[in-house]
Amino acid sequence: MKIYQPYGLGDCLDLLSELPQAETVILAGGTDLMPRYEQGKVLPEHLINIKHLADLQGITETENGAEIGGLTTIETLRRSGLIHRDYPALWQSTEQFAGVQIRNRATLAGNIANASPAGDTLSPLYLYHAKLKLMSRHATRTIRLEDFIAGPGETTQERGELIHSIILPRVTGSSCFYKLGLREAMAISVVNYALRYSQSAGELTDLEITAGAVAPTIVFLDALTTAVLSGETNSTVWRALIGQDIAPIDDIRASADYRRKVLGRLITHHLQNLGVVCHE
Amino acid sequence: MHIKFYLNGKVVEADVPAGMNLLEYLRSVSVFSVKRGCDHGECGSCTVLMDDKTRNACLILMGTLDGERIETLEGLNADRRMELMQAAFLDEGAIQCGYCTPAMLLALESLLRANSKPDDAAIKAAFSGIYCRCTGYVKPMVAAKKVVMGEVDG
Ligand SMILES: Cc1cc2nc3c(=O)[nH]c(=O)nc-3n(C[C@H](O)[C@H](O)[C@H](O)COP(=O)(O)OP(=O)(O)OC[C@H]3O[C@@H](n4cnc5c(N)ncnc54)[C@H](O)[C@@H]3O)c2cc1C
Ligand code: FES
Ligand code: FES
Repeated sequence: MKIYQPYGLGDCLDLLSELPQAETVILAGGTDLMPRYEQGKVLPEHLINIKHLADLQGITETENGAEIGGLTTIETLRRSGLIHRDYPALWQSTEQFAGVQIRNRATLAGNIANASPAGDTLSPLYLYHAKLKLMSRHATRTIRLEDFIAGPGETTQERGELIHSIILPRVTGSSCFYKLGLREAMAISVVNYALRYSQSAGELTDLEITAGAVAPTIVFLDALTTAVLSGETNSTVWRALIGQDIAPIDDIRASADYRRKVLGRLITHHLQNLGVVCHE
Repeated sequence: MHIKFYLNGKVVEADVPAGMNLLEYLRSVSVFSVKRGCDHGECGSCTVLMDDKTRNACLILMGTLDGERIETLEGLNADRRMELMQAAFLDEGAIQCGYCTPAMLLALESLLRANSKPDDAAIKAAFSGIYCRCTGYVKPMVAAKKVVMGEVDG
């Protein structure tokens, strides 16, 4: 195995385009890759450590929202006043993310590229309609996060590409994130969801919900939110509508049935707390 | 692979397999305060400081260490604040088997470097990536608060 440590973005893109793709892996914080290697999977022939790429660092406020460099760590997001103020659901997802040691290394682009259905930043990023700026030696393109993540561990990343940054549009209304794990810290989501709404005179005028760890990718609970916005008040119907958009599985953390039930309950409860009329 | 980095303030030059992780390396050179628990980032017993921040040594490849600054308890034992933290942990009975203790002390050290008066939530967050399977977290919290309040007789 050979490890490369490019200091410039140009050098890194050259490496990505020249090295044989099947044997080349980008290494950021290593918190997903290293445990995999420790568990006996052989290291790749070429490992490109991108840690030193200054271009991929930092959080900037832009005219239309914010741009977050791909290498920005979860802990940096957690300490960002801008994220706390403008993207509270994303901020909350960093609060409950692993423990400090992992947050100090884990990067936002790593969480995205890993494409786990339980990746904690993903429900908030979907909720905010995030876009990714992908760069290769030959082209730069911007695509919607939903079009990047194709399934568990699968993305539409093309040969020689890396995630340069994450682009967040300005958001209206209030938003938040909820994670159910088996303990408070160091726990992968059993289910999670992110919710954004606007209200006027006590009535919901806008509602969007994304849910994680309940389907191969993050899902928008559109059936539910459309019905709630058009006045559906029966919580049994709400739960059935949630069920239409999700496809949970059994795994070591929980059963599909539990995930279905608990997500339904959590969201019903949340909507009631927002003052939405609800009949059992 | 030839690398050069700083370990407890001293330059280290070593020829290592690029796939070796920092935890394996440290233990191979008798830096035994850094413990192996799980080897995949869960337990935190392999915590080291890298640029003042806590990291899991088992998740760091030696081949990526060039120029980095790593600290372990071995380099901090003579430090006054570390002596006070150790005294507080002993006084409060915050150590039973001690396996997690070096990591707890480094987590507290890292926190105090950034913030000399952390609140309870910040201390709790600092300890959250470390599994303690015998003492628990109450006594380490009490010990940490004593250090923060300057109430340790060292
Ligand atoms: C103990 C432990 C606890 C964890 N807890 C959580 C948790 O609570 N919530 C959660 O969501 N995750 C958790 N994780 C998973 C992991 O920390 C995250 O997914 C993290 O964000 C991955 O980022 P990284 O920089 O470490 O990625 P790496 O391991 O370096 O890389 C992951 C993948 O992304 C690719 N990649 C990285 N950067 C780029 C880029 N810029 N462009 C293109 N591809 C790239 C890599 O090639 C690789 O395929 C945990 C992991 C551990 C070990
Ligand atoms: S041995 Fe590194 S975290 Fe457990
Ligand atoms: S004192 Fe034994 S694990 Fe913490």
